[in-house]
Amino acid sequence: MMQIIEPLGLGFLFGWMLHKAGLTHHSRIVGVYRLRDMTVIQFMLTALVVAAFVLQGATDLGVSRPLPIPATFLVANLVGGMVFGVGMATAGYCTGTVVAQAGEGRLDAWVGGLSGLIVGALAFGLLQPHIMPALTRTGALGRATLASLTGARPWLVLILFGQIVVLVLYALARRRSACVAPSLGHEAKPAP
Amino acid sequence: MRCARLLFATLTIVAVLVPARVGAQCGSNASSCVSCHEGQQAAPVLSDGRPWHADHGFGDLCVACHGGDPAAASKDGAHGTMHPPLGDVAGSCGGCHAEDAEERATRYRVQVATSAVAATAAPPSSMPPPPSTGAAPSASTPADRVLLAVIGLLTALLVLVVVRDRHMLVRLRPGTWLRAKTWNAYVAGAGLGLTVAASEALFGRPLAASGAFDKLGAYLGRALFPTSPYYRYIMRPEIGWQVWLMLGVLAGAFTSAKLAGVARRRWLPDTGWTERFGTRRSVRLLVAFLGAVLVQFGADVAGGCTSGLAISGGAVLSPAAFTFMAGMFASGIPTAWLWYGFREKR
Repeated sequence: MMQIIEPLGLGFLFGWMLHKAGLTHHSRIVGVYRLRDMTVIQFMLTALVVAAFVLQGATDLGVSRPLPIPATFLVANLVGGMVFGVGMATAGYCTGTVVAQAGEGRLDAWVGGLSGLIVGALAFGLLQPHIMPALTRTGALGRATLASLTGARPWLVLILFGQIVVLVLYALARRRSACVAPSLGHEAKPAP
Repeated sequence: MRCARLLFATLTIVAVLVPARVGAQCGSNASSCVSCHEGQQAAPVLSDGRPWHADHGFGDLCVACHGGDPAAASKDGAHGTMHPPLGDVAGSCGGCHAEDAEERATRYRVQVATSAVAATAAPPSSMPPPPSTGAAPSASTPADRVLLAVIGLLTALLVLVVVRDRHMLVRLRPGTWLRAKTWNAYVAGAGLGLTVAASEALFGRPLAASGAFDKLGAYLGRALFPTSPYYRYIMRPEIGWQVWLMLGVLAGAFTSAKLAGVARRRWLPDTGWTERFGTRRSVRLLVAFLGAVLVQFGADVAGGCTSGLAISGGAVLSPAAFTFMAGMFASGIPTAWLWYGFREKR
């Protein structure tokens, strides 16, 4: 039972934040790739930095479970990211926001999006044995972090990373102060 | 502030609900082998230099050679039925390498022969302690000194920036938080960051979206492609953590939209879409479908999506996350330019 309530609760907050950030809007997701609406970057980088500081703090206090560090396969990460970017910039959603858009009542996400995700998973399942060995052969760094790779203290890497993110967000907000709260686009009228 | 309090309360409730679970069921997609050995770094083998481990790190394949129970929640349960690797080459390797299993096995056999006994007979106490990836090294390294210098410079820069542009500091206005159509992106982002931190610190799991569709797709995959090695050995169908997480997303987005009064059935995205593609429903469905196929496929190749890899992995400063984001924008910006152009239509 707990295995249901916990993920449901976390997912609820996840979906809530996605919606409140306006990421259920096609124009907002595509807008980041059109270099017009930086909300996605503001949202993602803020989430990343907040989580990173909380997690490092929790780890040092000894109150955190061992963190799930993803395995790095530089080639696969890059190639996968590029395929992902094409899909995201075309359709205007990523995996989580398909679900959030469905929750908001968008039927294109229910019908086209969710079925597309399943078909994409099946396509990967069929191709996995043929493509993944090649994609993971070079650039495999294991479960590395920037701190473990550089040999620096995690806190120093984290503080530097936080500073860079703040500067990037500052530069974005300054250059596009007109776009700090960009329009979400107007609701489309359905075809007659 | 009301919202911050609500968030805190919810997180507290989630925290209180955490049962004292131990052992293996800590990973995300992974078997308990990968969850504990690699995810919790209990005894990582991916980078131990043995050729088989290096060659097969792309998949969750431990069971094929080592046996054991990849779904067991306790270490003893998982290790109870282990056997020496490569004892049954046809059964272990033949699923993927039907033609030349024996030939391939011979190449690996030399390396594993010495470790086979140790792997199965090792008493629990002989497990090496987790490497201290999180702990600071005792002496400061050259990298530390470089970082300190850069941090000092950036601190000065940031102070200058704040002094010059105080007006750009985010002001948070309390008010009708729950019913707002949108929040300031930084506030929503911080909320997501706390959610990611809760998921990783309390449950040891990334806040991953794409895994749910791998698990659901595996039901179809097992039925349609029963001989596929991926569905036979790697991806098990499951309605578990990840699927429930996505149902939570559905509920959270619905509740937020409902309170804001914007939850409503509709087929088309906003004007950003219709200006380019028109109002035909079939066009939207086709593009939505094809885009989602690419999104899920890309996420699977990369090892996670925007939330599970970019944000959750970025939160532990994994190079995988930043490589993924670089790829995402490297292809997404030209794609968006091709489809939509950069300029807004007037």
